[in-house]
Amino acid sequence: MTETAARFLARDRLEDLVHALARPGGVEVREVIAPTVEDGAIVHAPIESAAELPRGVRDVQAPGVYRLEETEDELVFAYAVGPHAWKRRLFPPQRTRLTFAGDDGRGAFDAADDASPSRNGDQVVFLGVRACELAAITVQDIVFACGPYTDVSYASARGKAFIAAVQCTHPASTCFCTSMGTGPAVTSGHDLALTEIEDGFVVVAGSNEGVELLESLGLPLADEDRRSSAQAAVRGAADHIERNNVGVDGSLARRLDRFPEHDRWDEVATRCLACTNCTMVCPTCFCSRDIHTSVLGQGEAGAERQWDSCFTVQFGEVAGGNFRRRLRDRYRHWITHKFSTWWQQFDASGCVGCGRCIAWCPVGIDVREEIRAVTEGEHGEDPREGDPFQAREGAQVRAETVGAGDTPGDGVPEPPPVMATVTSARWETADTVTLTIATPPGLDVRPGQFVMATLPGIGAPPISVSRISGAHFEITVRSVGQATAALCALAPGDRLGISGGYGRGWPVDEAEGCDVIVVGGGIGLAPLRPVLDWVLEHRDLHSGVYVYTGARTPDDMIFAAEMADLELRKDVTALRTVDRAGPDWLGPVGVVTQLLDPDAWAGESAVAFVCGPERMMSATLDALLDAGIASDRIWLTTERHMECGVGLCGHCQLGPFFVCKDGPVFDAAQLGPYLGIEGI
Amino acid sequence: MSDSPPRVGVVKFASCDGCQLTLLDLEDHLLEIAKSFDIVEFAEASSRRSPGPYDILFVEGSISTQEQANEILELRTQTAVLVTIGACATAGGVQALRNWADHDEFRSAVYARPEYVDSLATSTPIADHVTVDAELRGCPIDGGQLLELLSAVVAGRRPQIREEAVCLSCKRRGTVCIMAASGAACLGPVTSGGCGAICPAMGRGCYGCFGPVLDANTESLTAWLRASGRSDGEIGRLFAGFTAYAEPFRSVVTRSRAIASEEDPRARE
Ligand SMILES: Cc1cc2nc3c(=O)[nH]c(=O)nc-3n(C[C@H](O)[C@H](O)[C@H](O)COP(=O)(O)OP(=O)(O)OC[C@H]3O[C@@H](n4cnc5c(N)ncnc54)[C@H](O)[C@@H]3O)c2cc1C
Ligand code: SF4
Ligand code: SF4
Ligand code: SF4
Ligand code: FES
Repeated sequence: MTETAARFLARDRLEDLVHALARPGGVEVREVIAPTVEDGAIVHAPIESAAELPRGVRDVQAPGVYRLEETEDELVFAYAVGPHAWKRRLFPPQRTRLTFAGDDGRGAFDAADDASPSRNGDQVVFLGVRACELAAITVQDIVFACGPYTDVSYASARGKAFIAAVQCTHPASTCFCTSMGTGPAVTSGHDLALTEIEDGFVVVAGSNEGVELLESLGLPLADEDRRSSAQAAVRGAADHIERNNVGVDGSLARRLDRFPEHDRWDEVATRCLACTNCTMVCPTCFCSRDIHTSVLGQGEAGAERQWDSCFTVQFGEVAGGNFRRRLRDRYRHWITHKFSTWWQQFDASGCVGCGRCIAWCPVGIDVREEIRAVTEGEHGEDPREGDPFQAREGAQVRAETVGAGDTPGDGVPEPPPVMATVTSARWETADTVTLTIATPPGLDVRPGQFVMATLPGIGAPPISVSRISGAHFEITVRSVGQATAALCALAPGDRLGISGGYGRGWPVDEAEGCDVIVVGGGIGLAPLRPVLDWVLEHRDLHSGVYVYTGARTPDDMIFAAEMADLELRKDVTALRTVDRAGPDWLGPVGVVTQLLDPDAWAGESAVAFVCGPERMMSATLDALLDAGIASDRIWLTTERHMECGVGLCGHCQLGPFFVCKDGPVFDAAQLGPYLGIEGI
Repeated sequence: MSDSPPRVGVVKFASCDGCQLTLLDLEDHLLEIAKSFDIVEFAEASSRRSPGPYDILFVEGSISTQEQANEILELRTQTAVLVTIGACATAGGVQALRNWADHDEFRSAVYARPEYVDSLATSTPIADHVTVDAELRGCPIDGGQLLELLSAVVAGRRPQIREEAVCLSCKRRGTVCIMAASGAACLGPVTSGGCGAICPAMGRGCYGCFGPVLDANTESLTAWLRASGRSDGEIGRLFAGFTAYAEPFRSVVTRSRAIASEEDPRARE
C-alpha cells in the first residue's frame, strides 16, 4: 500500500465523501451503512445523504441506561457505540443456512451461503466503525473465518465491506476499550479513518482502496494544527476513559475460569434475568442455532440459522439433562467465556470493551463490577489499587488483524450434508438401532469421529460412527427425541444427509505395543466399537486387550452378540455388567468400575479409551489414574449439545473447549479438571 | 392417528374468538389445512356440529362457569391431543383479574340480576382442570406458531416452539430496547417470546401476552422498576394483564396489591 498523508475534509464536503463512498468511480455500487438516529438511539442503517447522520447528538450511557441529548453544534460523530453492532451485517440475526429441494427419493441439501451485508447484494460501506468495533470484527474473523471450518456467508460478507472508521472523541461512561487494549484509536483494519475536529475531518487511508478513494476526492493535505487537534481529540478520549470510567484488569479477568464456585455467581443470578440482551448486543458473541423445519404443503424447508445465546435454557440441553440448567451457570459461562476461556480458544479476548452489554442490560448488570467482585482479593488487594491504569498485561486483542478488503478464510467451507442411503437397519435393543450407510463419495470418517445425521425438516443430531468398513459405515442411535426417533425409523433404501466426519478421533496408533483398556457405558459403547475393530484387526500389535462394558439391564446391551463373542476369545479379556439383572442374567451386577482389574494391566504402559455417562467416566478415570496410568494415556469422549459440529455455533463449549472440534475425544489431562465442575 | 386425516375440533370457553380467528387468518394455507385435517367442529367457521372423538382438539378460553368445568372434563375423554390456544386457555386470560376481586361484589356491579349468573369465583386456565398436551400462548396466538404446530403434526415431528424471552426476537429484529433507551417498563425480559416482539417495535413495553418465560426472574425486574421510581401499584398493574394469573406474575400482582393497599386502601380500585 502506498502511504498517504492525512487529508482534510471540510465539514461542508461531508456529502462529497458519502457520495464517493457510495459511487467509487462514479457508478452507484455500494450501500452506505452509517449511524443514524432512530427510536431514541444511534443505530446503523443505510443512508443516502450525510444529512442523515446524527448531527449535534450526544449519548449518555450508564448501566441499564442509554439516552440521547441534543446540542447546538454540528458534530456528527460525537457519541460512542449504540445498540447495533456491525455483526448484524456480517452475521445476520437470521439467514437461510441450508435449502432442501426435490421430493422424497432424490432430494438434496444445498448450502445457502450468500447472505449479503447490503440490500442489493453488492459491496457495502460501513461508515463510522469505531476502534473497539474493528477489534470486534477481527475477533469474529478469527471465530468464523480462520478455520478449520469457515462460515462462508460471513467470509463473503466480510470481503464486501469497505470500512470507513471513525476515531472516538466522545466516549461514554460504559466504555472500557483502554482496559482491553482495543481503543479509542483506530490503528489497523480500516480502509479510511476519520477524526472529527471543529471544522471538519482529518482523514487517513489504511488500504489501497482507501487511498484511491481519497485521491478521487482531491482533498488538501491536513495542516499541522488540524493534525494535532485530531490527535489531541483521540488522546483526550483515552484520558477521559482512563480517568473517569470503571475499568477492567484484563489479566485478572483472564483468570475468571479459576473461580467456578465463587459465591458471586449465586448473587448475580438473583439479579440477572437471563434475557440474553448482553449477548445479543455484544459485537463478538457468535452463537447460533439451526432450525430445521417444514411448512404444511410446502415440504421440507432446509435450515435457518438464527442468533442464539448461552443464556437460554435450551442452549446446554441434551437428551436426559442440561449442562447449564442453573442461571448461575449461564451467567458464569457468559462472562468467563468473554474474558477468559476465549483466550484459550482463539488466542484473543472475547471482550473488546465496548460497554454495550452494560448499557443494554435491562437491570443494569455491569460486567466490570462482576469481574471485580469475583477476582477481588486475588492478590489480597483491590486490583484497582495503586496505579489503576498501568499497562494491563495480556489484554490485547490478537494483533494480526485480517486486512480490510481481504477475504479471510483459511478454513474449509462448512459443507452442506450429502445424501447417503441406508443399506441395513438392525435393532440393538428396544430403543436403539444400528444403521449401515453407504459411505457417500468424499466422506472421510475416522474412529471416534461423529457425523451430523441430517433429516430434512427434522434435525441434524451429532451421532458417532460405530463402525467403518470398506464402502460402508455404521451409526448406532438411541431414540431419545424427535430426530433420533426418526433416525431409528429409517429402513434400508431410505436416505439421510450426512456431514462429517467431524472432530478429533481416537488416537488408535498410540496404543501400539501397549495394553489396551476399553471402558464403555450404555450407548457410549458405540463410538468405542471402531477402536475395538481396529485393535482386534491388529491384534498382534497390542499386548493385553481388556474390554469392560456396562448397561442398565441385559436388554439394554448394544452389540450384545459381538460382545458375547468377545468374551469367548482367548486373546481378549471382556467383561460385562448390568445395573439391574433380569431372570436370564448370570453375569456381574453393578457399576462398570467394579469390573476393572488393575492388577492385570501393565500399569504405566497401558492406554485406555473410555466413553459413557459423565459420572461413569469420572469414576473410571479415578480408577485408571489409581492404577498408575498417566492422564495423557487415558482418552475420554464426551457429549455436549451441538448445532453445527464444526466450531461455529458455540453450543458445545466445555470450559475452554469446543467439544465438536477440540474433541469429542480428549485426554484426561485436558478434560479431567472439568469433569467435576457442576454446570460448566 | 390413522391414515385418514386427523379429526380436529376447535372449541371455546370464556374468550373473545380472537385465537380461533388466527386459524382463519392463515389464508395462504387454508386449502392445505383443509386437505390435511378433517375439521369436524369449529364454532367460528361453520354451523356444522359434530361430536367427538377428536384426534386434536384446540381449546380456546378459560373456565369460568361450572358448566364449562364439566364440559372440559367430558371433552378431554373424547380427545387424543388437547392443545390450549391463547392467554385465556393457557393462563386464565384477562378475566382472571376477577380472581383478585370480591366475586359477588363484581357480579352485582355488572349484572342487573346477579342471581341468574352462574359464574365461578375464578377464571382458570384449562390445565387447572384437565391434562393439556400442548399449548400455544399469546393474546391472540401467533399465526406462525399455529402453522408450525399444524405442519409439525402432519410431518410427525415436534413443533419448534422455543422457550425464550421476548428480548431475543426484539434484538434479532433490531428494535432499540425501550427499557434502556427511554426508561419504559417492559415485560419482555420475563415473558415468553413467540409474538415476534411487536409491541416494543411500536414503542410500547411488552404486555406479557405469552406469559412468563421459564425461570422468569420477576423479583429482579420488579426491584429494578421500583428502584427507577415506580410504585407498587404501578408495578402490580403492569403484571395484571392477559397472563396475570400465571405464576410468577400472579405473585407479583398479589404482593403489589397487598403493599399498595397498605399504603393507600384506594389503590386497590
Ligand atoms: C459427539 C456426540 C456423539 C453422539 N453420538 C451418539 C450416538 O452414537 N448415538 C446416539 O444415540 N446418540 C449420540 N449422541 C447424542 C445425540 O446427538 C442426541 O441424543 C440427539 O441430538 C438428540 O436429538 P433428538 O432430536 O432426538 O432429541 P430432541 O427431541 O431434540 O430432544 C432430546 C434432548 O436432546 C437435546 N438435543 C437436541 N439436539 C441436540 C444436539 N444436537 N446435541 C445434543 N443434544 C441435543 C435436546 O435439547 C433435548 O434435551 C451424540 C452426541 C454427541 C454430542
Ligand atoms: S462483553 Fe460487553 S463490553 Fe465486552 S465486547 Fe461484549 S458487549 Fe462489549
Ligand atoms: S457462549 Fe460465548 S459467544 Fe456464545 S453467546 Fe455466550 S458469551 Fe456469547
Ligand atoms: S446480564 Fe443483564 S442483559 Fe445479560 S442476561 Fe442478565 S439481565 Fe439480561
Ligand atoms: S461449535 Fe457448533 S457444535 Fe461445536
